[in-house]
Amino acid sequence: MKEILRVEDLNVTYQTKSKSIYAVRNAAFTINQGDSMGVVGESGSGKSTLAMAVLRLHDEKYTEITGRAVFDEDRDLISMSQTDMDELRWKEISVVFQRAMNSLSPVHRIRQQVEDIYRIHEPKASREEIRERMISLLKLVNLPERVYDLYPHEMSGGMLQRTAIAISLLHNPKLIVFDEATTALDVVTQGQILKEIVEMEKTLNMTRIMITHDMSVVAESCNKIAVMYAGELLETGMVKDIFKKPCHPYTQGLIKSFPALKGGHHGKLTSIPGNLPDLSVSCKGCIFADRCDRAEKKCFEEKPSYKAMQNGRNVACHFAEEM
Amino acid sequence: MKRFICRRLITGILTIFIVFVLNFLLIQAAPGSPVTTLMGKENHDPEIRAMLEEKYGFDKPVIVQLGRQLEMLFHGDLGDSIIQNRPVGEMIAEKLGPTIVLGLTSALLALIIGTLLGVMAARKEGKPVDMVVSGTQYVFSAMPQFWLGLMLIILFSSNLDIFPSYGMTDARADHTGINYVIDVLYHMCLPAITLTLTLIPQYFKIAKSSVLQVTNEEFIQTFKAAGMPVKQIFRKYILRNAILPTVTIFGISMAYLLTGVMLIEIVFAWPGMGRLMMTAINQRDYPTLIGINLIMAISVAVVMLLVDIIYAKLDPRIRYE
Amino acid sequence: MKNNRLTIAAQAVKSNRQLMAGCIGVLALLVLMIAAPLISTEDPTIYGPDVLNGLGENGHILGTNHLGQDVYSMIIYGVRTSVKVAVISAMISGILGVLIGGAAGFLGGKVDVIISEIINVFMMLPTFFLILLIVALFGNSLTNVMIVIGITTWPGNAKLMRAQALSLRERVFVKSAEAMGETKRQILFKYIIPNGIFPVIANTTLGMANAILTEAGLSFLGLGDPSIISWGQMIYAGKQYITSAWWICAFSGIAIIIAVLIFYMLGDGLNKVMDPRYNKRRA
Repeated sequence: MKEILRVEDLNVTYQTKSKSIYAVRNAAFTINQGDSMGVVGESGSGKSTLAMAVLRLHDEKYTEITGRAVFDEDRDLISMSQTDMDELRWKEISVVFQRAMNSLSPVHRIRQQVEDIYRIHEPKASREEIRERMISLLKLVNLPERVYDLYPHEMSGGMLQRTAIAISLLHNPKLIVFDEATTALDVVTQGQILKEIVEMEKTLNMTRIMITHDMSVVAESCNKIAVMYAGELLETGMVKDIFKKPCHPYTQGLIKSFPALKGGHHGKLTSIPGNLPDLSVSCKGCIFADRCDRAEKKCFEEKPSYKAMQNGRNVACHFAEEM
Repeated sequence: MKRFICRRLITGILTIFIVFVLNFLLIQAAPGSPVTTLMGKENHDPEIRAMLEEKYGFDKPVIVQLGRQLEMLFHGDLGDSIIQNRPVGEMIAEKLGPTIVLGLTSALLALIIGTLLGVMAARKEGKPVDMVVSGTQYVFSAMPQFWLGLMLIILFSSNLDIFPSYGMTDARADHTGINYVIDVLYHMCLPAITLTLTLIPQYFKIAKSSVLQVTNEEFIQTFKAAGMPVKQIFRKYILRNAILPTVTIFGISMAYLLTGVMLIEIVFAWPGMGRLMMTAINQRDYPTLIGINLIMAISVAVVMLLVDIIYAKLDPRIRYE
Repeated sequence: MKNNRLTIAAQAVKSNRQLMAGCIGVLALLVLMIAAPLISTEDPTIYGPDVLNGLGENGHILGTNHLGQDVYSMIIYGVRTSVKVAVISAMISGILGVLIGGAAGFLGGKVDVIISEIINVFMMLPTFFLILLIVALFGNSLTNVMIVIGITTWPGNAKLMRAQALSLRERVFVKSAEAMGETKRQILFKYIIPNGIFPVIANTTLGMANAILTEAGLSFLGLGDPSIISWGQMIYAGKQYITSAWWICAFSGIAIIIAVLIFYMLGDGLNKVMDPRYNKRRA
């Protein structure tokens, strides 16, 4: 299987006047062609920061990134120049943002914006050509042709989100990042769109990263999962393995705290007590130890390394095997 | 769209009506009887008094008087200046031209320069250029317009002798045709510069803050993520979105602009409505002052209505609200 | 509690340079007001023998005017007029705005519809001409000028207060006060106004700056109070001597700019500090 993205030892640090905030620490994961990986975590866990760093959309003035993110087996996104990166954008990597309502210019028609975006890489493309391409994509996301000539405010949230997805597909990219792309929608619309995305992927053979705080989104639309907490990936692996038997106490907590959508019974709904730790101080032991009900002395003193388990699963817990 | 214009139209008409009623009430409440107020203090001619009483119906109840004056307004009659012995409407109409020329020129110049400066300052936010320009604008916004005019006269007329400080044309030379236009433009330099300089800060402020705000909008991220060059994002998307508020300011600042024009006209002896107003104040010619007040309210209402319609054309979001 | 509020206020002033400069400026103006007789070199109401003296001539730091009055001393005494006009007219405007806007937003219904429309209309009015007409009709004493500025500029404040009252009346503490049977008036004065007044305070400060400019404009048209010393009137009187004695106009204008800037900085600073996004951005 072909590797699309391999992230190695990625660190993202925000510099403010008075302190450094270690927003992402030692992140590592691999996505193969056709994979769909959900990155889950609470708000502030650094999942969006991770995505923005890979996409090189962070504010360069205040952010420092180290590590590697190898795209398509040979190009490192982190060390690449902005010009080279611009070449990749939308052609090979595209993104769908959280609030579709705000992710398009309110005073331009969809047509104008699509034409401009399309022509970044195909400057000579004719209007008819672009129109044809976009309308075929609109069909793919179950939208009527007339959407092409509307203004954003003339559409509903669901329509806009579908439009944003269609726009992200313009150049048939290898990788699409969905940054909380369905969060602002109501549950029914979200479910429909997720279904459509999964359907689409079968025909387009695309690879996807799904940034979300919602375990059910991952359950419905991903085959891989990365659980993020306070800037660290605590557990990565196949969705079916991890949902069946989570090996990190935090993952266990997360799975227990979301209601099963498809009737499966996961026992009592619980929440994890405590808050996210301060990201401006580096932590000696396990990052989750403060909130972990199984934490022992070792957990506070020694950082757990990734334990590789079957099916490419990695767990950062001293007691992973015992879970 | 139609409903939107209708609503604005009603507010506009209401504004004019309220100004009219306020004027009426002020004359009623002023010390001395309304007739004496309209006649002027020095005038005791019983014939004129009888004529005014007849015309305005001062012996009738107040509400009838109001109705009668409203009727006069509908016929375009703004009353008569007893002191000048002429209809106020005619006097204002004569002076309207120079005021509009000066006001419009300066307002357009200020709109263009202020917006450009604001956009530039926003792009260089926090850098020395921005700090200097923003600081200067702040000082200019605190400056009395007439004072700036006087200072420019000291500098450019008295000391450097570059520009004329007085009037709209050279009275000694009797220019015609293109020479007349050039002469007017030459005389307009100082008053227009003064007015423009004091109007720029408003456009500057709004242009700068709206560019900064739009730059932080989420849709800008979409275009960045699509690899669109920063210049194109700025030209096509940030500017188009950020320019809209400056258009509304053009309407809102109309009242400020008119005040400025009037004061500046007095400084530079520009033969417009400002001069008319100054004379009317000195002679306590109340019918003229009331007429000017009403004309000002009407022009502001008309301009604001126009600006609202233009804005609705520019911003697709308005049409369906 | 009180102490706590003071420290918060002190921190706010320290955190924003504009606000700090504004506060220092206001203090300076107050000192000039109180100590005017000590700071000035002469009694500015005295018509001396030195007519149209230049800078520094015969000990007149900023020269004299056509009546022999000392320009420097006039400017120092002019602070009193400007600050008085600024504070009193802005207070009138602020109080009217808070009461009318607060009542409109809190009571809602027809009262609100009518008041809102009045506010809209007033926002469209070229108020300067209205002020001018009133002063011309009713006499140009300083008291008249202050009152007229006050009663023509309240709609801006009312608009702000109305918006505050609209959001506050949905808050739990207002709802519970209602449930406990407090009268509308009590609620308005005890909860709505004290909690919603801050934006109005900042706006009132900006109104002070505008009041100074309006007074100067009226004086320049010859509608100032002839019995007092004001910067606007100095410019009005100095206008005729603009080519021979530029200092009369120049320095009184600079005084106006400085005073206006001080109130601008105070108002803008207050607005920034009270903006909830401000503290987040600094963190």
